[in-house]
Amino acid sequence: MSRSALGKGAAVAGVLAFTLFPAYFMLMSAFSEGGATGTGALLPTSFTLEHFRYVLVEAGFLTYLRNSLIVALITVAGSSLVALLAAVAVARFRFRLRTTVLIMVLVVQMVPLEALVIPLFLQVRDLQMLNTLIGLSIVYIALALPFAVWMLRGFVAAVPKEVEEAAYIDGASWPRMFWSVLLPLVAPGLVATAIFSFITAWNEFILAMTFMNQGDKYTVAVGLRQFFGQYTTDWPSVMAASTIITLPVMVFFLFVQRGLVSGLVQGAVKG
Amino acid sequence: MSGTVLTRPATTVAGRPPSRRRRSSARARRRALPWVLLAPALLVIGVLLLYPLIRVFLLSLQDYGLRNVVSGQSNYIGLGNYAEIFTDAYLWQVALPNTAVFAVATVGGTVVFGTLVALLLRTLGPVARTVVVSCIMVAWAMPAVTGTYVWIWIFDVDRGIVREALTAAGVLGPDGFNWFTERLTFYAIATLNVVHHGFPFVAVTVLAGLLTVPRELYEAAALDGANAWQRFWHVTVPTLRPVFAVVTILSTIWDFKVFAQVYLMPGGAGSNVDVLNLGVWSYVRSFGRQEYGMGSAIAVVLTLMLLAITVVYLRSLFRDEELS
Repeated sequence: MSRSALGKGAAVAGVLAFTLFPAYFMLMSAFSEGGATGTGALLPTSFTLEHFRYVLVEAGFLTYLRNSLIVALITVAGSSLVALLAAVAVARFRFRLRTTVLIMVLVVQMVPLEALVIPLFLQVRDLQMLNTLIGLSIVYIALALPFAVWMLRGFVAAVPKEVEEAAYIDGASWPRMFWSVLLPLVAPGLVATAIFSFITAWNEFILAMTFMNQGDKYTVAVGLRQFFGQYTTDWPSVMAASTIITLPVMVFFLFVQRGLVSGLVQGAVKG
Repeated sequence: MSGTVLTRPATTVAGRPPSRRRRSSARARRRALPWVLLAPALLVIGVLLLYPLIRVFLLSLQDYGLRNVVSGQSNYIGLGNYAEIFTDAYLWQVALPNTAVFAVATVGGTVVFGTLVALLLRTLGPVARTVVVSCIMVAWAMPAVTGTYVWIWIFDVDRGIVREALTAAGVLGPDGFNWFTERLTFYAIATLNVVHHGFPFVAVTVLAGLLTVPRELYEAAALDGANAWQRFWHVTVPTLRPVFAVVTILSTIWDFKVFAQVYLMPGGAGSNVDVLNLGVWSYVRSFGRQEYGMGSAIAVVLTLMLLAITVVYLRSLFRDEELS
């Protein structure tokens, strides 16, 4: 008993060490005074906020944060609204081509961004929307949409039909029913989907790098690159900026993990 | 269908007085309603995902350079770009192996390690399990860009922790060793990065599947004298086949189109030609050398490969389940 418990404890410790090491190393490099060398970051002797001050105040990261936040919020608002309507359509109505629409929603998620970036760059360029936050946001709405539809579809389908019918019997029209009955019931799913759209927009790299080539229009993922010199890299600053980027995502992620896992497994395991 | 088809639901007044026409128009409206609801999504997907897909294919048939971008004129050359790609030794010796071997290594690593962690998690009590799951979520939640930078920093050639540890241990001389210039070590680091980021999804998904396997199956197998390995191989694996199929294929799709994890590494943006994969190669040809037609053709090849994997995925997903 004790030997197997010991083995299990060692395995858990190993998994946790491997999992948490990069996050630990990132935080320590960012906060420690000796964060410019590996050993200094691993075993810090004194802590400082200087790297964060430099990143936010002198390196202009506040601008990138603002840009990323604006883009992410537009993406969330746009994709949530559009996805909710579409999810209601595929979850609540039986119509011709419904399966086709669902399969298309699944398939477009597989398309690599490397294939989309070239035509989207030309399209956005033709519309004179390179280096605009709105141009990037609109493209992100499209990126976040298929997954949002797929996820919300599950939440809408989980609302019992009887609840809707009761609303109709009480004389409600469809829009009234949607607004007063369905919407409150799928609100938790909507929050989870919104968070995912936020993370998609916040983390995206290849399109942001291609569309935004003016420094004041960078998003956080692109803004990080400026700390890389030709020969040297200011690692404590990179890690401080990375910490700032990572923290909101981590908080959101822990918040939605349950819904995510059950949503993904739904298609695979049939209870 | 009547004119009500065009009426958006949001503008329909609630509680409108009943009329004789109401029944038939209500039915028509109900039939049109799903399409009205779908319209914005289909428009966005069509304009920003499907149309670009067609466009990238058309671009792949052209010699499309900076001059064409400015003038907007097309310049069709048939399948010339594809002929060039498929006769280019670079595809067969560098880009394709870097993509496919890397995908096999990362998918294998992710699925095996994720499954082992799931099996470990199942043996834990509920409190310990929740704590460990929350911790491995940290690895999943780390954005690809920042995660990649952290791994580069860990392996930094001059002052990284691995370099300093190896030097202190006497393994590495004062000159150090640049593991980013060698293809094998470059991709070993990229594999570590991708497995670290991808295994939590497998672990949590397989765990969810494991918890649905009835205990009686294991008890019956144990009564028949099966050892732990036999129980895993003959009970767990067959029961969870659909779960393994989904995590394997999803991981394959994700790992085939890895971009930032390679592009951001030293040399990964084109200066070290030995380490490019299909995605980065396409990007470098398009935006680095302004050969948009050539870049598009490479991107189409990558997309077709992913599409083939996707078809397999959909088959395994829908084999025993109707979309409902």
